[in-house]
Amino acid sequence: MALPQGIIDFLNESARSNGAEQPGTTDDLFQMGALDSFALVDFVTVLEQETGISVPDGDVNPANFQSIEQIERYVESKR
Amino acid sequence: MKAFVTGSGKFLPERIVSNEEIAERLGLSPEQIFKSSGIRRRRWAESGTTTSALAAEALRLALEDARLLAEDMDYLLFGTMTPDRFIPGSSPSVQKALGLREIPCLDIRATCCNALYGLQVAKALVTSGAARRVAVCLAEIQSAWLDLSPQSGTISMLFGDGAASLIVSDEAADGALEIMDVHLATDGSYVDDLGVRCPGTQFGAKGVDAESANSADYLARMNGQSVILQASRKIVAASQRVLERNSLAAADVRWMVPHQANANLLAQVARGLRFPTDKDGVVSVLEDTGNTSSASMGIALDTLRRSGRIQSGDYLLLPAFGAGFTWGAGLCRASV
Repeated sequence: MALPQGIIDFLNESARSNGAEQPGTTDDLFQMGALDSFALVDFVTVLEQETGISVPDGDVNPANFQSIEQIERYVESKR
Repeated sequence: MKAFVTGSGKFLPERIVSNEEIAERLGLSPEQIFKSSGIRRRRWAESGTTTSALAAEALRLALEDARLLAEDMDYLLFGTMTPDRFIPGSSPSVQKALGLREIPCLDIRATCCNALYGLQVAKALVTSGAARRVAVCLAEIQSAWLDLSPQSGTISMLFGDGAASLIVSDEAADGALEIMDVHLATDGSYVDDLGVRCPGTQFGAKGVDAESANSADYLARMNGQSVILQASRKIVAASQRVLERNSLAAADVRWMVPHQANANLLAQVARGLRFPTDKDGVVSVLEDTGNTSSASMGIALDTLRRSGRIQSGDYLLLPAFGAGFTWGAGLCRASV
């Protein structure tokens, strides 16, 4: 399942503002600099808006959003 | 019946401790500390100073501000994480220091949400008729507990000492703030993500021994990532909830007076609430005081009240998040 473009745009922009490359599907978003703790909070808001899923507070941890592939799996599990 | 904040005071120890003074010991640079927290300096009390002594000084100023005497107080609440002693609480020491009558004195241990818990309890006491005037003391001497080594650098860089006091009354007066609402919540699943384990029945009540396996349990512990992620979302949700149930939106709020945790977190919360940041509406004293935990919201509120910038009818939003985790938001309106 491909993520909506708005989500990919957010990650690309976040990576760009941190001087990182555009993330690939399996890249570790935290290691490469596309996400950090503060950016993850904004990212989850965008994810909820773009996909219509609701992310419980307990799920907001890096393990669920480590890579684009993992985010896809997470979104799928919530649908 | 309504409840109003009719007086406030703050008291900070004299000694200013800059990032430059502590950075090397913490394995950080002064600029790193500022970038990751928004803090440039904090106040630390001299060794031997008690938390209740700071609180008493702040309460003296709050009484003066409210034009009341110590004997006018019917109830004393004292929020602190760094009490004078393990047992009893620190509120009796404030009662004695200021010569308050033999009134109820209650310590609150709701960490960085102590100001909100204090306001909620004070409002309940006043509106139920149990008390007419409640003193809410908020104070910390955290420097006494800090580990000034690189292993605790990102925690120890944050904390300062200080006190604030608020007078909650059943009568409005010049400069009064009506306490309209306080929403509070807790999720104990995060109990180990922020706090100090010992002394206590779960991890050990004996004195600290540097050689013992559990010596780290006597130091502050913080899962920074968990704190940021949960605080950012929970503060925003609590603020929205308190605004919605009072038929208000973030745009109606003139002043946000948050617990002064970390500048990046405050910015995140303002963004999450879409709170207008173009009118100096987010009140921050963080740069000069550091995170004074229980006292921080009171210090910020007193600073704003004394600036003379609050206009009649202004709404104030008071969001906080602390160890527990416990979090919430208060709503006040400038009534006069």
